[in-house]
Amino acid sequence: MKNTPLINRRQFIQLLTALSAGWPLAGCSTNESTTASAETLGRPASDTYKQLEEPWLSLAEVQQHLFPADSESPGARDINALGFLQNMLEAPDTDTDEKDFILKGVVWLNDLSNTTHQQNFIQLDTEKKESILRKIESSNAGSRWLSLMMTYLIEALLSDPVYGGNKNQKGWQWLEHIPGFPTPNTDQVYFKLSGGLDKSRRRTKA
Amino acid sequence: MSSVSNYNYDVIVVGSGAGAGPVISEMAKAGKSVLVLEKGPWFTEEDFFKDEMACCRRSIYTPKLEDEQHVLEEQLSNGNWESEATSESGWDFWNGNVVGGASNFMSGFFYRLKPKDFHLLSEFGPIKGANVVDWPISYEDMEPYFTKAETEVGISGKVTSHKFQEPRSTKDFPYPPTIEHPVVNRIDKACEELNLQSLPTPRAILSQPKNNRNSCEYSGYCGSYGCRSGAKGSSRAALLDDAVKTGNCEIRPLSKVYKLKSDNKGQVTQALYYDANGDSQSVSAKVFVVACHAIETSRLLLTSTGPKHPNGLGNNYSQLGKNLLFSAGGSGTGEFHYKQMDKLAASAMKTRGPFVNRGLQDWYFLDEKSFGGKAKGGIIDFLLRHPNPISKAMSTRWNEDDNLNWGHDLKRDLKAVFTESQDLRFEVFNDWLPTDNCFVSLDNNIQDKWGSAVAKVRLGYHEHDLKVGEFLAAKAEMVLKQMGATNIRSSVSGSPPANLVAGGCRFGDDIKTSVLDADCKVHDVENLYVTDGSFMPTGGSVPYTWTIYANSFRVADIIKGRV
Repeated sequence: MKNTPLINRRQFIQLLTALSAGWPLAGCSTNESTTASAETLGRPASDTYKQLEEPWLSLAEVQQHLFPADSESPGARDINALGFLQNMLEAPDTDTDEKDFILKGVVWLNDLSNTTHQQNFIQLDTEKKESILRKIESSNAGSRWLSLMMTYLIEALLSDPVYGGNKNQKGWQWLEHIPGFPTPNTDQVYFKLSGGLDKSRRRTKA
Repeated sequence: MSSVSNYNYDVIVVGSGAGAGPVISEMAKAGKSVLVLEKGPWFTEEDFFKDEMACCRRSIYTPKLEDEQHVLEEQLSNGNWESEATSESGWDFWNGNVVGGASNFMSGFFYRLKPKDFHLLSEFGPIKGANVVDWPISYEDMEPYFTKAETEVGISGKVTSHKFQEPRSTKDFPYPPTIEHPVVNRIDKACEELNLQSLPTPRAILSQPKNNRNSCEYSGYCGSYGCRSGAKGSSRAALLDDAVKTGNCEIRPLSKVYKLKSDNKGQVTQALYYDANGDSQSVSAKVFVVACHAIETSRLLLTSTGPKHPNGLGNNYSQLGKNLLFSAGGSGTGEFHYKQMDKLAASAMKTRGPFVNRGLQDWYFLDEKSFGGKAKGGIIDFLLRHPNPISKAMSTRWNEDDNLNWGHDLKRDLKAVFTESQDLRFEVFNDWLPTDNCFVSLDNNIQDKWGSAVAKVRLGYHEHDLKVGEFLAAKAEMVLKQMGATNIRSSVSGSPPANLVAGGCRFGDDIKTSVLDADCKVHDVENLYVTDGSFMPTGGSVPYTWTIYANSFRVADIIKGRV
């Protein structure tokens, strides 16, 4: 039973065309906080969020708005949703188009925020953040971007903690989820499974 | 080993799944040299974790659609057919392209066909617009091999007498049933009240250890996951590992066969394949066996043109790829809310691990006015909602107004879906009637990463399939209602399940209306057999895997007699 892909190829091409036509592309370069720690898939703990630079600062803020903490349940920061997103965007099999789309969306978000409120997204109050995101949602590309953000958030909440999200199994605990066994360690995450690529070990001779 | 010097191997098998495993193991055990060419990688038990990202969120066991895909043709309301590449639509038609094939990822509920399934045309007469035919063999021919699969693959179950029970040569299954989820008590009670007979579902999952395979660990994550303990009767765990140990079998993973070359006599001489480095290789054998999934088998034979087979191997009468089958039917759900139960009952309902081994065969054959008397029905199988949490949570992403759900609303919905109720689901299986609108051809525009034309699949269905499916779904809903479930709903459609495919190379006695003979040898090729689900002219109202295993054991005996 396969799940539907995050976004399909044709939608990507449409969206990228739309983005490059209308929205500035500068200002979304990645910085050193994107460098993976290959051994742990570790990503910023919540106390380092203050040191984040764009586009991660805005993305973290969007995640926290879409998935806020309350007295009984964890929020995006508690589950390290940003670290998960960064790990996934760097995973070897992640489509570069998808990564570009997410990062370009941040530029679009802040453009809209500045046009409407003369402030970047992170500076807005909760009500204004909500109205900006709902406005984005009303466009086809914006809806796709938010849908993708939600998908990564849900994966961050409920995937194995080895991927960097679901910190200390907070997502599983909140939703009373019983995981299976065995679970993977950092050398056994999906993009490190060789599956016979090591031919010398796998091949047998008649 | 009895290699003939002119050939590299006695037998070359293309593919390694359920249709390939029995031939491979039987040949290797008989001392024949066997080469297995498998397109996918070779994962073992040590590579399988209960990791939803690996099993179900990313393409680890299946190709990336940009590299290898299908083109699917669906009928528009105006009657025209529209084709769309799966890399465009995202509708992934792959199941498990690894050593052992999709059998690694099945949930393993296994049913035999029944004697009448072998001659539906004689039994129930023709249906307009459907190409129903009798099989060239009978249930009696297949029975010993259904039984052989029980012991060789390892099937756990308990025989219960019922009105449509198929004849058996052994008294009971070689392994007792797997441990059962407490919800079966509720199902049994409701069925008893409705005067229905709930039956234990056999599973290709070991309830006791067998040789080097452990029994089931009941982690609760079975379907879609590779099995860590070896309990699941995948072709790999049950058959290939032992075949390799004989020293007569070589498995070459990451080897994509792109053509079977044939000579002036029409015999297959070589398998041409791309190795892991993308280099073309060729290898020869006395006998060739193709079993690489119904759609891909038709595709390979269509691609394999030769002097005596200008339209593809076995296609001199334009039968190749035709009468493709899926499984018709649908599925449904009912909810059981914990707050309406006492604490003990709620706790039982939350149990994770054991199987819901229950199904209904009361309507396998019908005698109903609405069907004009005697007709073919199908089965109902019960199961819990799949425990994959990400997929479960994804169902809350959109709210009732079709807006994205986020913030505190989303969190409230997540909490409810995960902690307030258990979903009991059912699946309906009935015959997917063979028609002229369901077939495999080659796409003229799209190629795979090696440059071969991809399969184009026309996905037409017969309206009769929906009628039977809806009849059965209503019966299943009745059981859920009797159990006290709420929010009961079901869906029956002509949308094909990509994991239940057969046909395309139907077997028969006449070369003009079939691709294979009764031995599953291509009619006019003396050394080419097809042993996956492709051979089936009609599918029966059950998942195909047991029948595919059984038929492959049957054909293995035939091939053994000639190499």
